[in-house]
Amino acid sequence: MNHVYIHIPFCKSICSYCDFCKMFYDKNIANTYLDNLKKEIEEYYEDEEINTLYIGGGTPSSLDFDLLDKLFNIIKIFKLADNYEFTFECNPDDINEFLVKKLASNGINRISIGVESFNKEKLKFMERCADFDDIRTKMNLLRYYGINNINLDLMYGIPGETLEVLKKDVKLFLKLNPNHISTYSLIIEDHTKIKIANIQNISEDLEVKMYEYICKKLASKGFNHYEVSNFATKNYESKHNLAYWNNEEYFGFGLGASGYINGFRYDNTRNIKEYTEGKYHASEALLSKREVMEYEVMLGLRKMEGINLQEFFDKYDVNMQEVFPIKPLVRNKDLIYKNGYIYINPEKIYVMNEILNKMI
Amino acid sequence: MDHIRNFCIIAHIDHGKSTLADRILEITGAIDKREMKDQILDSMDLERERGITIKLNAVELHYKGYTLHLIDTPGHVDFSYEVSRSLAACDGALLVVDAAQGIEAQTLANLYLALNNDLNIIPVINKIDLPNADVPKVKKEIMDVLGFREDEILLVSGKTGEGVPELLDAIIERINPPKEYIDNKTRALIFDSYFDSYRGVIASVCVKSGEIKRGDMLIMMSTGAEYEVVEMGVNTPKEKLIDKLSTGSVGWVSGSIKTIDTVRVGDTITTKENRADTPLSGYKAMKPMVYSGIYPIEPNKYEALKEALEKLKLNDASLVFEPETSEALGFGFRCGFLGLLHMDIIEERIRREFNIDIIATSPSVIYKVTLTNGEEIEVDNPCEMPDKVKIESISEPFVKASILVPSSYIGPIMELCQDKRGIYKTTEYIDSTRVNIIYELPLAEIVYDFFDKLKSYTKGYASFDYELSDYKVSNLVKMDILINGEVVDALSIIVHKDAAYSRGMQITKSLRTLIPRQLFEVPIQASLGSKVIARETISAMKKNVLAKCYGGDVTRKRKLLEKQKEGKKRMKMVGSVEVPPEAFLSVLSNN
Repeated sequence: MNHVYIHIPFCKSICSYCDFCKMFYDKNIANTYLDNLKKEIEEYYEDEEINTLYIGGGTPSSLDFDLLDKLFNIIKIFKLADNYEFTFECNPDDINEFLVKKLASNGINRISIGVESFNKEKLKFMERCADFDDIRTKMNLLRYYGINNINLDLMYGIPGETLEVLKKDVKLFLKLNPNHISTYSLIIEDHTKIKIANIQNISEDLEVKMYEYICKKLASKGFNHYEVSNFATKNYESKHNLAYWNNEEYFGFGLGASGYINGFRYDNTRNIKEYTEGKYHASEALLSKREVMEYEVMLGLRKMEGINLQEFFDKYDVNMQEVFPIKPLVRNKDLIYKNGYIYINPEKIYVMNEILNKMI
Repeated sequence: MDHIRNFCIIAHIDHGKSTLADRILEITGAIDKREMKDQILDSMDLERERGITIKLNAVELHYKGYTLHLIDTPGHVDFSYEVSRSLAACDGALLVVDAAQGIEAQTLANLYLALNNDLNIIPVINKIDLPNADVPKVKKEIMDVLGFREDEILLVSGKTGEGVPELLDAIIERINPPKEYIDNKTRALIFDSYFDSYRGVIASVCVKSGEIKRGDMLIMMSTGAEYEVVEMGVNTPKEKLIDKLSTGSVGWVSGSIKTIDTVRVGDTITTKENRADTPLSGYKAMKPMVYSGIYPIEPNKYEALKEALEKLKLNDASLVFEPETSEALGFGFRCGFLGLLHMDIIEERIRREFNIDIIATSPSVIYKVTLTNGEEIEVDNPCEMPDKVKIESISEPFVKASILVPSSYIGPIMELCQDKRGIYKTTEYIDSTRVNIIYELPLAEIVYDFFDKLKSYTKGYASFDYELSDYKVSNLVKMDILINGEVVDALSIIVHKDAAYSRGMQITKSLRTLIPRQLFEVPIQASLGSKVIARETISAMKKNVLAKCYGGDVTRKRKLLEKQKEGKKRMKMVGSVEVPPEAFLSVLSNN
C-alpha cells in the first residue's frame, strides 16, 4: 500500500489557533510553489501504485481555478490503484458548483470540510465563519456531483464554551449527516495568535466531559469511534489517516510536509526560500527497529481496536509482549487484551500518554 | 620575624572587605592593575555570585621591606568556625565598617571573636567615597559602641584606593610581629585545606614555631599520619614554589596526601626532624547545628554523591555526613552543617561542581530527648524520634540572637520574635536611631523561616547574628505526612505543639500544588501519631492525550512524549505516587 500527502500552505485568512505551516495566499507565490512541488514529486516518486491521496493545508481550496488545474495536472503523475481514496480539504466559503465539478472531474472522492462549529462565539474566537444552511446546501452540491464521502471537523474546548453550547453543535453536525467526524479540543500551540494573547485552556474536567459527551452521542447515532479523535459511519473510516496509525510508510510532498519512506522519517523545510531552492528535507532520520516498533505502539494504540499481536509478530518477527511491558499494564487495566488485540482501556483513552510513557 | 605581619580583614557582609583586599594587593604591587580581576580572593563562582567569601585564602605581600600575610575570612555567621581558624593564624585584624551603613550585627560578633584571639585591631571606615557616607556618625559609633579612640580610626576607600597606603603603614606599626614560642620545635597551624587533582591534599598553614623544609617528614599531631613534603609555596597571589617556610610564615604544603581524613583543619603539623610534644592551642572545633538528609535523585549516583561529599569535606572541616536510608528516598547521607547558608552552599556545589541532582530533606536541629527510663538521647532526624509514650521530655537548642535595627522597627521585631517563641532579654541603644535587640530564640525557628520574615518585617534594614546559648525543654511533637495513606519518612518534622495545626495545613496545601496529578486521587494528610490534623486531596489526572496525530505530527508528538518521560525520570516513587524533588522541601516553604 502506498500513500501520498500533499501540502498546500496558503490561506486567505489565518485562524487564531493554527500552527500548521501556512502563509497568506499570493497567486504568484502559489504559482511558483506548484512548479517546485512538481519538481519535488518528480525527484522522489517512482511510479508506485497509490492507494490514498490527501491534499491538505493550509487551505487547498484557496487556490484560484487555473492553479487548481495546474495542481491536478501535476497529480496526474500518480498511478492510482483501484478503490483509491482521494481527499481534498475545503474551507466552507470556497465551495461552489464550479469547484465541486472540478474536484469531481479530477477524481476526488472524499472531502474534508473545516466547519469546526456553528456557534457565533466559538467561531469568533477561532476567527472562522460557518453557517448551517450554507453548509447543508454545499454538502448537497457535493453529493449531487458524486462526492459521497464527507468529513466535518468539529472543535471543542474553546474558552467560554459550555457543555450546552457543545451539545447544540453536535446536534447540528449530526443533522447534516456527515459520513465522518473529526473532533479536537483546542490546543494552544506556540507561535499562534492565541498563545501570544496568553489564552488559557478550559478546565480539564470540563474538557473531559465534553469529550465523553461527543463519544457517547456519536456512538448512539451509529458512528464508529475508531481513533482517539475520529468517528465514521460504516465503512467510511479514513483510509489515508489509518495508514498513519497503522505505521505504514507514506510520501509527504510540499512545504512543511512530513513523510516516511524506506525506513526514513523526514520533515520538509518550512522555509519557502529553501523549498524553492530544492532543499526539501529539513531533517530526516533512519529509524532503528526499536524506534519503528515504538512508533507502532504510539500510533497503533490510537486506534480503538488497538494492535493485533499476530500482525505485530508478522511485521517485526518478535512478540509485542517481549518488547514492551504489556503484562503489568493489562493487570492494571491500563491495556486490554481481547481476541488477539491489545488496546487502551477506553476509560483511559484521554490519559493514554501516561500509559504510552510506561511502554516506550 | 620582626618584619612579618599576619593579619586579616573582618567586616559585616557587603562592607567592602574584598574590594579593600584587592586594593591592598594592587598598591603593594602583588598584582598589576590590568590583570586585576575584581575581588581576586573570592575565587569560587558561588562566592562571587553571593558576594561572600566562603573559603579562606592567604596571600603574601611585600611592602616597605616587610612581609605581610593577608588571610581572608568568611563573612557569614554560619562560618564562625572558619573565622576562628583564620583568626588564630593572625596577629592583627582590620575591622572594616561601611561609611554609610555603620556598625552591624556581624561587626560586633567579629570584633568579639578577634578580641578573644588577642589580636591588635585597627578600626577602618571604608567606602568614604560614597555619596551617602556619613563619616562623623560612623566614627562616633565606633568610639561609643566599640570603645576606640578617634585617632585610631582610619578612613579608606577600597574603590578609589584613598587611605590605603596609610592603612598599610598602620598595619606595620600597630600589628605585632608573630609571637616567639616557648621552644623552637616545629608547629604549624592548618587553617585551610583543599584538594588538587594533581597534587592531592594541599594544606594552608601558618608556621608558629620552628620551620618546614621541602623533604621534611610531616606529622599530623591529632592523627599521627606522616607525609613527606613534596612541594611547598606561597600565593603572591600567583603561586610561587619555595623550599622553606620559617617561623611566622604563611603558605601551603603538599605531599601526595590522598587520605583526606588525615589532614584536619585546626590540627597542628610538626616534623619528624624537629618534633614538638604539644600541639598549638586556641582552636575551637565547632559542631554542626543543622542536619539534613541528602539523596541522589538517581539511585545509581550514590557513590558519586559520597565522593562529592568527601571532596567537599576536604575543604570544609565543619561538614559531617554519614550514610542514611529513607524508605521514600532510598540511600543517601545525613549531613550536618554550621547553618542554613552553609547547607545551601554545600547542596549547590554538589549540583554545580559535581553535577549530581539531589533531594535535600528539610533541615533539623539536634534535639535532646529524655526517655521515661531516664536515658538521654540526641535526635537530629525526626524519623528517629522515639515513640511518644517513651518520651519524658524533649529539649531544643536556643540561640542568643542580636538584631540591629533602626529603632522604628522595635515593634515589628518584638512581634516577630514573640511569634517565634522568643524570650526577650534586653535592648541596647547604639545611638539615638539604632538599637541592638537581644532575644533567645529556638534555633529551629531560625532554621525554618526567621531570615525571610526578618527581611520582610524590616524591609531589609535589620542585621542579625546569633550564637548557641543552651537547651530548653519545649512542648514538641513529631508530625508525619502521609501521601496516599503512607507515611513518608523524609517529610516528618518536629514542631511545637501550638504550631502543629497551621504547619500541617501549610505543608499539605503546598504538597497538593507541588505533586502533579496522578491517574488516581491522592490524599495528602498531616498527622500527630494516629490523629489526622490536616488533609488535602489531589484529584485524579483527567487528560494527557495527543488529541491530533496525523502524518505531519508524528515525529513532533513523539518528541513530546519523550519530554514527558524525561520529566518523570526526576520523580521519586512514593508507593505508587510520583513525587517531584521539590516536594521534599515543602515543609520549608511558607506561602
